[in-house]
Amino acid sequence: MRARDTGASHRLTRWIPAIVAPIAIGVGVVLVPLQANAAVDLPDLTPAELLEFAASSDVESLSGTIEQRSELGLPDLSGLTGAMGGGGGSGGGTGGGTEDFGDGDGDSGSGSDGDAAASATDLDDLISLATGTHTAKVYLDGSNARLQVLDRLAERNVYLSDEGAWIYDSAEKAATHLTVDQAALDALEAEAQAHHDEARERLEAELGAPLPTPEQLLDEALAKLDQTTDVSVGTDGRVAGREVYELVLEPRDADTLVGEITVAIDGDTGVALAASVTARGADEPAFSVAFTDVSFEAPDAAVFAFTPPEGTEVTEHAVPIPTVEELEQWKAQAEAESQAEAAPGDEAARPVVHGEGWSAVVELPAAGVGGAGFDGEAAAMLGALTERVDGGRILSTSLVTVLITDDGRVFAGAVTADRLLDAAATGR
Amino acid sequence: MPDLAIETHGLTKRFRSQVAVDGLDLAVPEGSVFGFLGPNGSGKTTTIRMLLGLVAATAGDARVLGADMPHHVDSVLPRVGALVEGPAFSPYLSGEANLRRFDAADRHAPRGTRSDRVALALERVGLSHAAKKKVGAYSLGMKQRLGLANALLMRRELLVLDEPTNGLDPQGTREVRSLIRSLADGGTTVFVSSHLLAEVEQVCTHAAVMSVGRLVAQGTLDELRGSGSRVLVRTPDPGRARAVLAELGLPIGETAAGGIRSVMDASGDELVTARLGGSADAAPEAIVAALVNAGVRVRGFEIERASLEQRFVDLTGEGFDVVA
Amino acid sequence: MSSREANDGPVGVDARVGRSGGAGGGTLSLLGSELLTLFRRRRTWALLGALALIPILIALAVRLSGGPPTGRGPAFLDQITNNGFFVGVTAILVAIPLFLPLTIGVVAGDAIAGEASHGTLRYLLIAPAGRIRLLLVKYAAAAVFCVAATLTVVVVGTLIGWALFPIGPVTLLSGATVGVGDALLRFLAIAAYVTVSLLGLSAIGLFLSTLTTVPVGAMAATAILAVVSQIVGALPQLEWLHPWLFTHYWLGFGDLMRDPIVWDTFGDNALLQAGYLVVFGALAVGRFLTKDVLS
Ligand SMILES: Nc1ncnc2c1ncn2[C@@H]1O[C@H](COP(=O)(O)OP(=O)(O)OP(=O)(O)O)[C@@H](O)[C@H]1O
Ligand SMILES: [Mg+2]
Repeated sequence: MRARDTGASHRLTRWIPAIVAPIAIGVGVVLVPLQANAAVDLPDLTPAELLEFAASSDVESLSGTIEQRSELGLPDLSGLTGAMGGGGGSGGGTGGGTEDFGDGDGDSGSGSDGDAAASATDLDDLISLATGTHTAKVYLDGSNARLQVLDRLAERNVYLSDEGAWIYDSAEKAATHLTVDQAALDALEAEAQAHHDEARERLEAELGAPLPTPEQLLDEALAKLDQTTDVSVGTDGRVAGREVYELVLEPRDADTLVGEITVAIDGDTGVALAASVTARGADEPAFSVAFTDVSFEAPDAAVFAFTPPEGTEVTEHAVPIPTVEELEQWKAQAEAESQAEAAPGDEAARPVVHGEGWSAVVELPAAGVGGAGFDGEAAAMLGALTERVDGGRILSTSLVTVLITDDGRVFAGAVTADRLLDAAATGR
Repeated sequence: MPDLAIETHGLTKRFRSQVAVDGLDLAVPEGSVFGFLGPNGSGKTTTIRMLLGLVAATAGDARVLGADMPHHVDSVLPRVGALVEGPAFSPYLSGEANLRRFDAADRHAPRGTRSDRVALALERVGLSHAAKKKVGAYSLGMKQRLGLANALLMRRELLVLDEPTNGLDPQGTREVRSLIRSLADGGTTVFVSSHLLAEVEQVCTHAAVMSVGRLVAQGTLDELRGSGSRVLVRTPDPGRARAVLAELGLPIGETAAGGIRSVMDASGDELVTARLGGSADAAPEAIVAALVNAGVRVRGFEIERASLEQRFVDLTGEGFDVVA
Repeated sequence: MSSREANDGPVGVDARVGRSGGAGGGTLSLLGSELLTLFRRRRTWALLGALALIPILIALAVRLSGGPPTGRGPAFLDQITNNGFFVGVTAILVAIPLFLPLTIGVVAGDAIAGEASHGTLRYLLIAPAGRIRLLLVKYAAAAVFCVAATLTVVVVGTLIGWALFPIGPVTLLSGATVGVGDALLRFLAIAAYVTVSLLGLSAIGLFLSTLTTVPVGAMAATAILAVVSQIVGALPQLEWLHPWLFTHYWLGFGDLMRDPIVWDTFGDNALLQAGYLVVFGALAVGRFLTKDVLS
């Protein structure tokens, strides 16, 4: 005869799939990435060798997906951005949003029209760049390039080719065509090359020795960099399923907010596959961009073809190509101006840099950006973003701090608020 | 002893605090027509649900057609037709479509003969003319008939019918009775739960009686009834009569209702009754002879075969309130 | 009533032969009967009719008002006057957050609870349908309804757009223009994407349906979960949770309107939905196998 408790134990066994399935999935979710990261061991390289390897990369064709994340620690703006017009698409592929609920009724929520809405939308776009996740596709072959930013139900594209560039925004239904005079560009290139060769010959003649090789130049640059930054090769890892070296830059300067910058370099091709910036003391990068998948085969040529669709507003823009003489003229002019920097009358128009290295602070004089330049909605947003301090308003993120003084000057840098206030007070 | 179509040992079902079925030991012989009796709420339907694998037993085990339930539902149930706690159908489908649906659910039911079998089953319960009508528009009895048709879609070795004549008209009731008889003649074991004792008496070969979740009697109909026969003696000498009956070994005072007792008659005679059976297997003529020899003036003598109803009430109590 | 016939007649013999028949065909046969039952219900057609109303109303509204100002309303709406094909895509976009989950909730939530409330569940089980087999068939039927629901919106939208507006080559999000044939294929792919998106919700609905004998409860709970998940998906404070929400990729079908088509989202979505299907399918099996059928 069967044991009396078979009923109960049988019931338990029938729950086994229900218990095992979530556990199996959970284990899979944890283990698969672990597995992917496990046991990457590329031949050891010094930082200099790694940089050289990267510089010698000869990859011309590529297609892949890039994911960019920002976690800058901005104040929560969801309330404000939600009230904005439905135009600006937020993160690509990010889950169902409230805006689309509202739009379902054919009512776009915000009643604002015209310029006010436009400037608010621009600010919204900016903020969306600084927060959240963006996905883009990149395509390269020898002579063409395309960046395809995947917004939700919208798309922005940049097409580059020998004939010029197209920028297309599906949400705005606007295309911008940038053209260059190819003949002029070729002429410029040839002339520049000639100038370069000539200068080189002259220099070598003067020095009585050949110019330093690129390796020597690199070593020199590294030595200079080493004064401000600790450059090292981190542990090998995996990006987009490929084995990568990790180049780590750590500022030696204690004043900066930047903790470290890492660049992942493909162990096979030398292409940079990921980069991230981590704030001092943070575990997760404040800003990162990385390939999630990549292929080095030449993409289909059709990918680079673009003709503005019907009903698109097309802006034509011819980029003027200067001749070498013009370039030299500009250079001379710029030098002359920088000599005259001290002249107080001129100062108003030009940004000033205080300090150097990682803790440099940029000052924009009063005319640059003023509170007055914003209308109501944008000003409200600025108010929400910034925080009142003695002498101005501070916008602080985990990487960058911005100070807008009451007299309209703007100070910005990858430094603490105190450093900015100090710069504003002392002008140094 | 023949093989058992249904066999349970200590079958128990507890709903939270309440014990609906309590240690049931049921034995239904193959080929029998087995009446499953019990007042409302005594646990009949719960037992049937356990037998069919719809409900898991809290303790004990059940074997149906020789296989453990509920572990072998897939091999046992195709051989079992059932009507459980009334018929149930999708009201938005026709009677025929409902039957086809249940038939499709049985993977052993051949698709090729489905139409024929459905038509035949409908004909057997007299629903051929209402086959295309939506079940939502069926009367109570029509639904009951359709439920029976569903149980008869395939050739079954066991039919479990929970109150099959509920809601049927007299013709329907008669048809069900003859149906059960003919199925039993064909070798099918029929397990019928019912309150209609007259009906059970007419068709059943065996029966069991439930009371408050427990089995209080089980056996052939004769076994059940036999122990309930009574002797009725009409006489002006009740004292002497009682003494004689007691001397014969007829049960005395075993229960208030079953022991010797007397009732005053309008004529002044008393009616002395005693239960037949027990150790003394006295023939009626022997009892009369003993009474007369003892000088009892016998004015009337009768052997009353107890009806199943009387037996049922004896076993499950007179109370009308549902014990729950 | 002629019972002898049934016991010894040809039917009985056939029945015994049928017992050796294949089980696979039996399951398909049960699925066929389940679909027949589903699509014979007036309620199913009412749900599909309500979904068909969405593109019809959108098309009529745009037609009568002469089109909305560009940049307002859901994406694609402003394209309808130029190209009627966009009615279907706009309607899908409008239907995804609420209307589609609502109809799926009704069908999936009703799957087991509805049978229980009619009492037909016990007769299906003693047929015997087999508990796991019944769950599988119920889920498959819900999935078929998902296909029917999305196709209704897309096809009715495309047809009414065709009837009321000029049609022609379709401009994709990337700015490329594709011919009518290519566009129609993409609309079918969108229907497939949205169908896949709803499979996780169907599994949740099926599980909830095994918990109760009150179908309305399971239906409402399913639809409410879909809405809650979308609200959670819009809360930046819960961003870590977003990739795990079954609604996360619901609006990702726009990737099929790019050039070249970006299939990543389709794959990610399918994987996520499969995860939900496995987890809630296993829960439903666990629950249904141990459930006492008392209705
Ligand atoms: N789902 C349930 N939950 C709790 N108790 C239940 C449930 N179903 C039945 N019961 C209890 O179990 C007992 C037996 O019920 P059951 O339906 O088996 O009686 P029955 O003998 O079939 O009665 P009837 O003659 O009225 O059909 C009753 O006391 C009832 O209250
Ligand atoms: Mg009952």
